[in-house]
Amino acid sequence: MRLFALLAFILIEGAAQTKYDLLLKRGHVIDPANGIDTVRDVAIAGGKIARVAAEIPAGEARKVIDADGLYVTPGLIDLHAHVYGYSGSLFPDDTALIAGTTTVVDAGGAGWRSFDDMYERIIKPSRTRVLSLINIVGHGMIGQKYEDDVGDMEPEKTAAKIREHRQHIVGIKVAHFGGQGWVAIDRAISAGKLSNVPVMIDDKIFTNTGRTTREKLLDKMRPGDMHTHMYNDRQLEVINRFSGNLEPYMMEARKRGVLFDLGHGGGSFLWPVAKKAMEQGFPPDTISTDLHSSSIMIPESDMPNCISKLMNLGMTLQDGILRSTVNPAKAIRRFPELGTLGEGQVADIAVLRLRTGVFAFKDAWQKKLLGTKKLENVMTIRAGKLVYDVEGRGFPEWTTAGDYEVIP
Amino acid sequence: MTRLVALIILAGLAPVSAQDIYDLLLRGGHVLDPKNKRNEQLDIAIVGERVKKIGRGIAAAHARRVVDVSGLYVTPGLIDIHTHFDAQGAPLSLNPDHNALRNGVTTAVDAGSSGWKNFEQFKTRVIDHSKTRILAFLNIVGAGMFGSEVEDDIDEMDPEAAARVVRKYPEAIVGIKTAHFQPATWEAVDRAVKAAGLSKTIVMVDFHPKPGRGYRELVLQHMRPGDIHTHFYGRLTPQLDEQKKVQDYMWEARKRGVLFDVGHGSGSLWFRIAVPAIKQGFLPDTISTDIHKDSIMLPRATMTNVMSKFLAMGLTLEQVIERSTAGPARAIRRPELGSLEEGGVADLAVLEIRKGEFAFLDSGHGKLTTDRELRCVLTVRNGEVVWDSEGLSLTDWKHAGPYSNFK
Repeated sequence: MRLFALLAFILIEGAAQTKYDLLLKRGHVIDPANGIDTVRDVAIAGGKIARVAAEIPAGEARKVIDADGLYVTPGLIDLHAHVYGYSGSLFPDDTALIAGTTTVVDAGGAGWRSFDDMYERIIKPSRTRVLSLINIVGHGMIGQKYEDDVGDMEPEKTAAKIREHRQHIVGIKVAHFGGQGWVAIDRAISAGKLSNVPVMIDDKIFTNTGRTTREKLLDKMRPGDMHTHMYNDRQLEVINRFSGNLEPYMMEARKRGVLFDLGHGGGSFLWPVAKKAMEQGFPPDTISTDLHSSSIMIPESDMPNCISKLMNLGMTLQDGILRSTVNPAKAIRRFPELGTLGEGQVADIAVLRLRTGVFAFKDAWQKKLLGTKKLENVMTIRAGKLVYDVEGRGFPEWTTAGDYEVIP
Repeated sequence: MTRLVALIILAGLAPVSAQDIYDLLLRGGHVLDPKNKRNEQLDIAIVGERVKKIGRGIAAAHARRVVDVSGLYVTPGLIDIHTHFDAQGAPLSLNPDHNALRNGVTTAVDAGSSGWKNFEQFKTRVIDHSKTRILAFLNIVGAGMFGSEVEDDIDEMDPEAAARVVRKYPEAIVGIKTAHFQPATWEAVDRAVKAAGLSKTIVMVDFHPKPGRGYRELVLQHMRPGDIHTHFYGRLTPQLDEQKKVQDYMWEARKRGVLFDVGHGSGSLWFRIAVPAIKQGFLPDTISTDIHKDSIMLPRATMTNVMSKFLAMGLTLEQVIERSTAGPARAIRRPELGSLEEGGVADLAVLEIRKGEFAFLDSGHGKLTTDRELRCVLTVRNGEVVWDSEGLSLTDWKHAGPYSNFK
């Protein structure tokens, strides 16, 4: 009987020991969707968030990582990235995943003609979750000549491709159209209606296009459609250039439900524009990078840097995380399956450090602003797996690890 | 009166070069240039794509842009001789510019991602569009690194064809690569050596010892002086005996002129091998990353990280810089690279030693905790500032004047 009790005890202990695969201890959890903004332990099992609580015993997990002094947030979601098609596109793992971004939304690299190729070459082999805003141009974002070709903007075919790949295509992108009038935007919205998904618009508003921002925001775009590159200069859409005031139609559009996306990139985050807009209460709904081969260099438009830049213009860290997790998840209608640390959800996690000091932040035109707060990604967990760990927090000292193989 | 006349004459004779106007002046940095034995505070003035002057107290007033790099190390642009940057071709390759230039690497040598059949695609799709100077070891396998089926196929290994491609692109191709060959024969190594002989270049060898195909024979008989064994701290290489003593044939091979390259990668830097080897004085000839889609994630095989690991294992900063600049330039026979020369191309790295607590992972994810980290804060390639993490060369936005048509 005593032996039986002992056996039972061992079995229970054994079970307890393997209850969780991974436990993050003592990190400051920011999980806006669940109203958590305090120190919590986070346990992961089977690739999912198993438990978030004040105290989870270390003995219940196979691997324990000390996150003391760090912020633990849902994996960041970059609503505007370039990982396919576009000439400046980058691979997602060595650019997004290392920055704490576990989901990237490719903004229009592929059209209905090229999406299957994107799926095989990028979506399938990447560790990062890659989703797509499919370009209304069938060939995708492969150059001005193609992007101006109205004949290749086919709502029916685009909608059919979306219906075929609901899991990976979350919306439509219309961008760079250099021609006259509303045809490109109308076709994108028409495809959006056919497939019941939102449209992201990157539109060159110049005097010779026959389009105005006001009309676009108030008459053309539907609630839930996304206006990206909101802090650009070339279009002067946010701030009236003479008065320095926020254009009233911006607020009106926001009230209608039009979403405003950062899309930093090489031309769309400029200090005078962003500062004036932030001061007048017009932050981005969604923080995104438009990360590509140029913007990743001196402007460093990765997610933690974009959040840092906005923090140095007055945004709180908590608000920055909200606009990098919950808000983009909602924009692509993947909330709460993405963007939260809710129990049962996929364990996509960023572990971030908020450094204090003096740091230079560089806008899209390489002008700097000196700030005192900088957010940096320290560790990334994707579907429960530790994929990036720049401080080696998840691993033992080599001197004590014996004759090790690759330590998982 | 005579003195005044002498002064006037002297002024008239002042050399024209004293009136140089510099485009860029890196001021107050500690210059480490092992090839020229520079290890002191010096200023570096750049005109166009070239270094114009290296000296003390170069006038800030003579430069259009002055960057204060005091407290930082200024080195020749780093040279990483084992990379995988055929981003449009080989499955494991990465995009070069952000991975190289952000880490101070101005010259990256692709280690056999492409072969004699597809090098031209690599050149037109990647090399010709990159800011990083990309050179290549041409794979003896015609199709390059496209999986074991082609990489084990000796019919893909045509020395004549490979040598022809090398001779056609002498600017870009520095030698031949052989890698991943599994059959227990010498075919791959010997054909690579043959191709190198035909093209008067060197071979970089990635080698898995097999029964009947031993490592000792490789480094003492099959490889020639100047050929490079990469991954030499790897687990598959019998570089140490059971007592962790460096094998005699390692020293003998080194004496013969065989070079030993790190090639960190996913499998080839293990602290339990490298630490004892370094303690016995068996240092790498060249420090390189073998950067690719896997190695860049957990072991974090970027150039400055790999260099930081060697600092932590006891190499001096001078030794680390030598093995990342002049050493690799010599290995790939590009003496014009890897040093700072007046009149030479302006490829430079500005490095910071950060103090604090840091830990680095090896290929097995064992960690080494240390108090220093080397990072790249600024990179100059062809005279252009292409990376500037601290904004040292940049204007504050409030002083930047009008933002185009925005007021």
